[in-house]
Amino acid sequence: MMSAYEIPATDVLPQVEGYIYPNELNLLWGDLIVLYPYITGLVAGAFILASLVRVFKVKALEPTYRLALLTSLAFLLAAPLPLLFHLGHPERSLQVMITPHLSSPMAIFGFVYAWYLMAVLLLELWFDYRKDFVLWSRYTTGPKRWLYLIFTLGVTDISEESLKYDARLCNIVTIIGIPSAFLLHGYVGFIFGSVKANPWWGNVLMPIIFIFSAIVSGIALCLFLFMIISQARRLKMDMDCLDVTAKFLFYTLIIAAAIESLDWIHRLYEAEESIHIIKTLATGKLFVSIVVIQAFLGSAVPLVLLGLIQIFKKDIAARAREWIYFLSSVLILIGVLAMRWNVVIGGQLFSKSLRGFTTYKMELAMASHEGFTMSFALVLLILPFVILWVFLKLFMPVEEPGPKGEPLTRAETSA
Amino acid sequence: MARKNGIPPQLVRLVLVTLAIIALYFTARYFMTPETFGQFGFYRGASLNEHATRPLSFAGKESCRNCHEEALQLVSQFEHKTLSCETCHGPAMSHVIDPETPLVKIEDGSCLRCHRSDPSRPSWLAQISLDDHYESDSCTDCHTPHQPNE
Repeated sequence: MMSAYEIPATDVLPQVEGYIYPNELNLLWGDLIVLYPYITGLVAGAFILASLVRVFKVKALEPTYRLALLTSLAFLLAAPLPLLFHLGHPERSLQVMITPHLSSPMAIFGFVYAWYLMAVLLLELWFDYRKDFVLWSRYTTGPKRWLYLIFTLGVTDISEESLKYDARLCNIVTIIGIPSAFLLHGYVGFIFGSVKANPWWGNVLMPIIFIFSAIVSGIALCLFLFMIISQARRLKMDMDCLDVTAKFLFYTLIIAAAIESLDWIHRLYEAEESIHIIKTLATGKLFVSIVVIQAFLGSAVPLVLLGLIQIFKKDIAARAREWIYFLSSVLILIGVLAMRWNVVIGGQLFSKSLRGFTTYKMELAMASHEGFTMSFALVLLILPFVILWVFLKLFMPVEEPGPKGEPLTRAETSA
Repeated sequence: MARKNGIPPQLVRLVLVTLAIIALYFTARYFMTPETFGQFGFYRGASLNEHATRPLSFAGKESCRNCHEEALQLVSQFEHKTLSCETCHGPAMSHVIDPETPLVKIEDGSCLRCHRSDPSRPSWLAQISLDDHYESDSCTDCHTPHQPNE
């Protein structure tokens, strides 16, 4: 990519409005960095849904418990990839862990990520699945058997006492996991919120906005996946579970929308010197992504739809509710992606001079290094779903492997 | 598997795995930390030398003076006196080492980089609008860059 200095002035001006500084011409963070907080948000959100079952004992949500945990893990495994592709030197990535600088939020992310992956998610999954691993390793053959055997870590004790111990430890891990999930995503908000030079980002509410939008998007993703998987496996739709998930989705969406509205009201009333450029940005370049997609389609429409169901649940047929839940979850997922876009891209569109704008052009061509890595954004958005599909095949089989003539039921296999 | 000393076997196994992961981290850290890391600060000490030995692109105004004293004398009397030769003529180190190596050919873009009309530029800087001004094939048909007022 050419530096701004090398680009002839004749090629520059069409993408600039008003006055900008030379180094603000090209955006340093592109669509890959949009994807990164989106994916980490889905991880944290899905985990919070799982913890509603484990810690807060919401019985109706039990069918989503394992799906939520596996979703969280699948997306967590994909979460650092956008950063690696963005940096263009993935082989250097381990240096951030080997020689971490404590003043660097990105270095700390390595440890927050490792903690969340190993001390929270994998542990919780292991305790929850230990009995299944032992049983599956007995009743399957071939490479699958070996895989399950490795996952047992050599512990084959599934006595009642031992399983009780698992459940207790699992609860402790989940309780530690809730603040960890908040930390994982709050930290992403912190990275943006701590950029005091950028009025669009530098805001103490940023980590909280990120956490709540993460919870909303995670629950919406699990609702979406739960419906798709039930349909694909030709299972009867568990309306009780859907209704309760949608109820929690509605509550968290109210909080998320309220905090974001508060942020806007506060900005507008406070009317700092940056307010003019921010208003111009939101009503101009970002109008479609912030007003139409994020605020209207991604927040207002699902709020009204889910809100109406809370009031008139008895009058709306189950089939109609299903469709409304499906539509709402898709709208919320798109809305939260738009929110990430508005934060990451929007924050780089206006000049530090507060007097002009540049333009972001997404390159999908393979010709340039930038375009090549940017094209990975789409692949990286699909990748966690592929990982999840493999997980579902392995860890949520349609038919539980069991000894011939006595297939195991769900009740028997869950701890 | 029976409990050893009352500690459940799964916990023992997890503690072992955790210890193994921590040991792996410190082993990796030992082998992967670059040798000269931290010698002078939070970076590889050897990188200073690596940067210092990179081939130079720019030679600086004084290198030009050795052969082009006349041109420097001329340019020092007019508006372009504060500019470095290489601002318009391009990186010159290879030309200094071997004068046979030609410099970058100067095109109109070099002039327009500063003189194309832009409201954000100070008004004392001569600026042109291409549509109104461009009467000839090239800027240098009418202007002498070393003596812009000519």
